[in-house]
Amino acid sequence: MITFENVTKRYPGGLKALQEVSFELVAGEMAFLTGHSGAGKSTLMRLILMLDNATRGQVLVNGKNLTKMSRSAAPGVRQGIGMIFQDHKLLRDKTIFDNVALPLMIAGIRYNDIRKRVRAALDKVGLLHRERAWPLALSGGEQQRVGIARAIVGMPPILLADEPTGNLDPELSRDLLNLFRQLNAQGVTVLIASHDLALIREMGQRVLVLSKGQLIDDIPAGITGSGQRPRVG
Amino acid sequence: MSKRALRRKARSWGRRQLYSLFSSIGTLVSHKLATLMTLLVLGIAMALPLGLFVVVENLRSIDLQQSEWGSVTVFFDASVDSESAAETAHAIEQRNAEVRLVSPEEGMAEFSASSGFSSAADLFDENPLPWVAILTPGAENEQPLEAWVSEWQAWLEQREGVDLVQVDHKWLQRLAGLLALGRGLMTVLTVLFSLAVVVVVANTIRLDVASRSEEIEVMSMVGANNGFIRQPFLYSGFWYGMLGALLALVLMLAAIFYLQSPLEQLLEAYGSQYLLKGLGVQRSLLVLLSGGFLGLCGAFLSVQRHLRLLAQGHGIGL
Repeated sequence: MITFENVTKRYPGGLKALQEVSFELVAGEMAFLTGHSGAGKSTLMRLILMLDNATRGQVLVNGKNLTKMSRSAAPGVRQGIGMIFQDHKLLRDKTIFDNVALPLMIAGIRYNDIRKRVRAALDKVGLLHRERAWPLALSGGEQQRVGIARAIVGMPPILLADEPTGNLDPELSRDLLNLFRQLNAQGVTVLIASHDLALIREMGQRVLVLSKGQLIDDIPAGITGSGQRPRVG
Repeated sequence: MSKRALRRKARSWGRRQLYSLFSSIGTLVSHKLATLMTLLVLGIAMALPLGLFVVVENLRSIDLQQSEWGSVTVFFDASVDSESAAETAHAIEQRNAEVRLVSPEEGMAEFSASSGFSSAADLFDENPLPWVAILTPGAENEQPLEAWVSEWQAWLEQREGVDLVQVDHKWLQRLAGLLALGRGLMTVLTVLFSLAVVVVVANTIRLDVASRSEEIEVMSMVGANNGFIRQPFLYSGFWYGMLGALLALVLMLAAIFYLQSPLEQLLEAYGSQYLLKGLGVQRSLLVLLSGGFLGLCGAFLSVQRHLRLLAQGHGIGL
């Protein structure tokens, strides 16, 4: 579902954000991406979203080779990815309902269908009763769940989350990750960037470890859960 | 692509337009004060050329009611008596002009009345005034006044017993000159203020783009293409232009209402029974559409450029 082949990303000024990174995430897989800040997690995510282009190597997402596509194809690629941000990125002047409906409006879906699907997505994250509320009236955890509802409402095959638990307390974080696990169980490919090592260990999923732009470890699922610490360079 | 897929695409496109439309209205309504200020600026900018247009148009239609004023006055020789004056008047009537004969006695009476020398006639042993004929174009006259006047002047001057033909249309020439100037000025103002409307809308849209950068970024991240992001701003530009034009029309109507009675008094002094005219429905609609179009132009010029700048800043691929 997501394949990196010898991907190098060099920013203007010579900074190498990623060096020769290779990995594959198959459909239906769930993995964590970890490493210190500046290790290249965000760059990797940006490449998947076509916010940046790889300097060298190939990035394949959802069967499409992004490195061979023009920038005008980016919206189509992004419609196949549900993105969850650390700071939620909800629109403050729109209700919860309208926020979640955004990807469906972009897709030009009938309003009746939009209503059904938005309510289903909000129901899934347990916030159906807040659909008429404004984002600022919600707690941080609730806002994050709205962000997830927005990411899944279009039923994309891939979910990307950038530090989704960054501002949440451990209990809320665990709830959130369990929600990701549920979605993954329904067949969605999930990649979560996080530096919350304790939580990652607890989940027992595959872990990709980045350090200084290089992929230094790729721990298969089922190992971290049994007590081994993922090594972070 | 199959017909069905095409139809589905067209429908999606239509829905996206509709969502953008509502989104643009929502933005205008949710920023009432800012919207109102912009509309006021646009309204005033458009009211100026519109007002001038209405003034010029009204003066032109007065120009068409020239029968009262476009007169030629004929002074007969003192030797001409009532009979030969009547004969000439008859000849004039046969050539399709309206004519009024003024006898020396009537002339003296009018002079006494208008000059204030109520006993002017007593100063003279004998009435010094000749017979006078006043010509005006008939109702069915379609000739331009200039041509009509010079034709009659030539004809009258050759007639026996005519002492002097006085043509009093200099002021009409001046009016025509002023009207031409007014129309020229209107063109200049229209061009300048149209430009102003485009610039004001462009600047407003620039601010809108800046203040909604967060929203644009999010929309881009969840897969909106350039067109979908641009659309609400284009609609906003159209609304700004059209509502500005509407305000301009309202301002103009208010001005007409306010100026009506003094203007009518003035026109009455010139002997004209005349009602001040507004723009009419068709022209008003045209003004609204033109305003909308200008706003759309402003938005179009602005949004593309500023979205690109924003995209560079955020690294979002627009």
